[in-house]
Amino acid sequence: MTGYLIRRFGQALIVLFFVTVITLLLIHLFPGGPVRAMLGPRATVAQVRIFNHLYGYDRPLYIQYLKWIDQLLHGNLGFSPKLNMSVAALIAQDLPKTIVLVLLGTIVSLLFGIPLGMYQAVKRYTVGDYVLTGVSFLGYATPTFFIALLLVEWFAVDIHIFPPFAPQGSSVGQILAQPQGLVLPVIAYSFVLYALWSRYMRSSVMDNLVQDYVRTARAKGASERRVLWGHVFRNSLISIVTLLGLSLPSLVAGAIFIEVVFNYPGMGLAFFNAAEDVDFQVLLGFTVLATVATILGNLLADIGYAMLDPRVRYN
Amino acid sequence: MAPLLEISDLRTDINLRRSVVHAVDGVTLHLEAGETLGIVGESGCGKTMTALSVMNLLPAGGHIVGGQVRLAGQVISELDDEAMRRVRGNDIGMIFQDPLTSLNPTMTVGKQIAEAVQLHREVSKEQAMDRAAEVLDLVGLPRSRERISEYPHQFSGGMRQRVMIAMALACEPKLLIADEPTTALDVTIQKQILELIDDLRRRLGMAVILVTHDLGVIAGRADRVAVMYAGKIAETTDTSTLYANPRHPYTEALFHALPDKAAETRERLYSIPGLPPDLTHPPSGCRFAARCRYAADRCREEEPTLRGETAGHEFACFFPVGERERGGLVVSEPGPVEQALPPAPAAGGAVLLAAEHLVKDFPVTRGAVLQRRVGAVSAVANVSFEIRTGETLGLVGESGCGKTTIGRLIVGLEKPTGGAVRFDGKDLVGSRGREYRRQRRSIQYMFQDSYASLDPRMRAGAVLREPLEVQHIGSRRDQDKRIAEMLGHVGLPSTAVDRFPHEFSGGQRQRLGFARALMLSPELIVADEPVSALDVSIQAQVLNLMRDLQTELGLTYLFISHDLAVVRYLSNAIGVMYLGKLVEAGPADEVYLTPAHPYTRGLIDSAPVADPAAEHAKVEAGVRGELPSAIHPPSGCRFRTRCPLAQEICAEVEPVLRPFSVNGHQAACHFPLQPPVAADATATASAPTPLP
Repeated sequence: MTGYLIRRFGQALIVLFFVTVITLLLIHLFPGGPVRAMLGPRATVAQVRIFNHLYGYDRPLYIQYLKWIDQLLHGNLGFSPKLNMSVAALIAQDLPKTIVLVLLGTIVSLLFGIPLGMYQAVKRYTVGDYVLTGVSFLGYATPTFFIALLLVEWFAVDIHIFPPFAPQGSSVGQILAQPQGLVLPVIAYSFVLYALWSRYMRSSVMDNLVQDYVRTARAKGASERRVLWGHVFRNSLISIVTLLGLSLPSLVAGAIFIEVVFNYPGMGLAFFNAAEDVDFQVLLGFTVLATVATILGNLLADIGYAMLDPRVRYN
Repeated sequence: MAPLLEISDLRTDINLRRSVVHAVDGVTLHLEAGETLGIVGESGCGKTMTALSVMNLLPAGGHIVGGQVRLAGQVISELDDEAMRRVRGNDIGMIFQDPLTSLNPTMTVGKQIAEAVQLHREVSKEQAMDRAAEVLDLVGLPRSRERISEYPHQFSGGMRQRVMIAMALACEPKLLIADEPTTALDVTIQKQILELIDDLRRRLGMAVILVTHDLGVIAGRADRVAVMYAGKIAETTDTSTLYANPRHPYTEALFHALPDKAAETRERLYSIPGLPPDLTHPPSGCRFAARCRYAADRCREEEPTLRGETAGHEFACFFPVGERERGGLVVSEPGPVEQALPPAPAAGGAVLLAAEHLVKDFPVTRGAVLQRRVGAVSAVANVSFEIRTGETLGLVGESGCGKTTIGRLIVGLEKPTGGAVRFDGKDLVGSRGREYRRQRRSIQYMFQDSYASLDPRMRAGAVLREPLEVQHIGSRRDQDKRIAEMLGHVGLPSTAVDRFPHEFSGGQRQRLGFARALMLSPELIVADEPVSALDVSIQAQVLNLMRDLQTELGLTYLFISHDLAVVRYLSNAIGVMYLGKLVEAGPADEVYLTPAHPYTRGLIDSAPVADPAAEHAKVEAGVRGELPSAIHPPSGCRFRTRCPLAQEICAEVEPVLRPFSVNGHQAACHFPLQPPVAADATATASAPTPLP
């Protein structure tokens, strides 16, 4: 396992290298170069030259790359002139809040998706299964922002149970102090994920229920409940773990549409605003962070795999 | 006293979406305590469904629609779910065909066995685990205490089946149902497992139902046999009577389709024409009538009942074959045989294919960052043989002996690590480009699994056209002509071109696979287990076809199989492989009748034959233990770890092939079962010229 982790870490470094190189090249693809993007179209040639020199954009690419990497390694992800704060500070401020939203949403979606997916597999082709399948398809097909708007319409505008806006504040504590504001964003976020988990769990459990080992368990005299929870459950989770790992990047990238619709002060909203303002330092910093999260998510999925399935041994 | 198990007029249906399969249709059976009942039949005959009905473990849509199952006087077919759960695993234990998929991959074997104990006994976890270790001891698993915390994938196939048996026996059931318990195992392991079941039956005094397609497996193990066909019992009696005097034409046909006896005379195998009936709409009258060579009008109109001329031998036929019985006295007489074919083509042509010192190692790598090569699986180690034009060389051995790798090396699917393959005198390994492509036409491969080896989205016509297209042969019209001709050769209708692989039966698919291999008019066909997935009657059809086309087209075969009887039937020469080595080779009958190598002897003794007397005569024969790792093969003679004759020299000096007759019979053994002949008496060729 240790050897495997070392090898995966090496691979991760290579992926990071390519991502950072491509990201750096992307900066230069802005019309008129990065400085134009920063200063706007009315900046004079002299201003551009001064800024180019100031930020080092007149140096050779590899020097720029090395300097940027050096900065990254020192935790300096850039500076947003528009927000007048460093990208690192922005992340430090918004990331915990996004993690709260995404984590809560994921947990809620798993709590519903996994048992209901199992229920659907056991009661396949019954009314209950068809109804839940309809719900899942709705979750897949409806755009997230539309679900969010509907929830606001029903629960905030029509019957005033929950506030239409997410809690505001700069710290996690402030967010958690207004739990009623979290309800709608969390529901909206978990709905799509619920559809995903329940469909995968349904097909995974259905695949496992017809396996020979299930017949063996029944031949031992095990009850259906025991067969399901003692044998099928763990084997079915194996395929879910991969998906879970792959969904990890959203912990960092945030749920952009949810955050925008509810005005939730997280990474997704910050990213959205940065994209609107062409605040590319923020965009770059977030991209690098999302890359790291993706790689980590994959790694965690593989580790989860090995824990669930004894046949998987990484060496 | 009432019998332990009584099945009366059992009927089981399986509901499909639009139809109902009458899988078991009026089966009546009984079983005494301590007795072994064999249920035999081809796939789809309802033998497994009968077994699953007893357990009430039918697949989705399946349910018992009539009849009764009584266990020790209690009607268990009418119990509710909860009461039935107390019977399963407690009164009746069951083991299944594939021990790998039948065990939960994510649970330790100890826990899986302990679960069975905990479900039926008021015991603590520790006590259940103790019991698990105890039953693992009972089934002969070495170091059972340590191994209870291992997972199924850490066990070999044979050991996994032992674990399955241990699980089924953990609560000391009165009845053990074994559904094809050895079909997925090698013959040597099969023998060990069958012996274990037999031994446990005696020691624990339980009854056993042995469900199998293999008449050989039944012969040595069952007290009584029920032959099933199309959901019904065709014939039932005690084992020795059935084998000596089968009365139902279906039973007789099954025996005649076996290659065991025909191997000596090389007569044509009897193959049952057609396919079993569709059980959604079973035919009226006798269900076998459409395939029966003795059927008369009455058979198609009226359904024969299961009856007998003497007690204890019942059959469902109006025109029984065999001898009439009076008072249990049986006069056996061989049934009619098909017209005999000339013996396997007398060859003596030029050497077509020569394998010279073939070596194939598969690297084993380890390491965190850099994948270091730490060793190699020695799949083929210095194997030489020759095949002459028009001959058949049969390669036999347990799985993992390297026989398939040799086949793949010869058709060019693998590159040898060392040695050479010469075809018609030219080196195959070194050739490249156009020359390589041209040579490949002459050697074609026939696969074991005809279903998996055909593209499911290609019609038969496209499957057959592809080799011609790859090799740019002929216009489209020429290709069409060739396809039609080839379908005729293998006995498929010309309308088959538009069908997809799943629209063929297993036997037809294998014919299609054969036709594909023949499209390029090859000289050599490498056939890797071409009949091992087929039922006996279908197997006979394919073997006959292979023989016919060999004579007609002058084909040469390299025939790879684990089944000695099949190999002997089809081959002029046999090569026996063990762990990458060719340990014995020579004329088929010589190797089979007078083997020189203890491994060959063991292999022959392990293979069950459909003759109860012969089976019972084989006591304590066969090959012990399991195949060692090919990463660290034993020093000296690779077979020594399992050899009853091994001495010190076997570990130190690797034996070389020595001649045992002037016909090219060779074996590599320090202590052969017969004295070798003087070395200068034979040539160096490993492939023999056929016997006069």
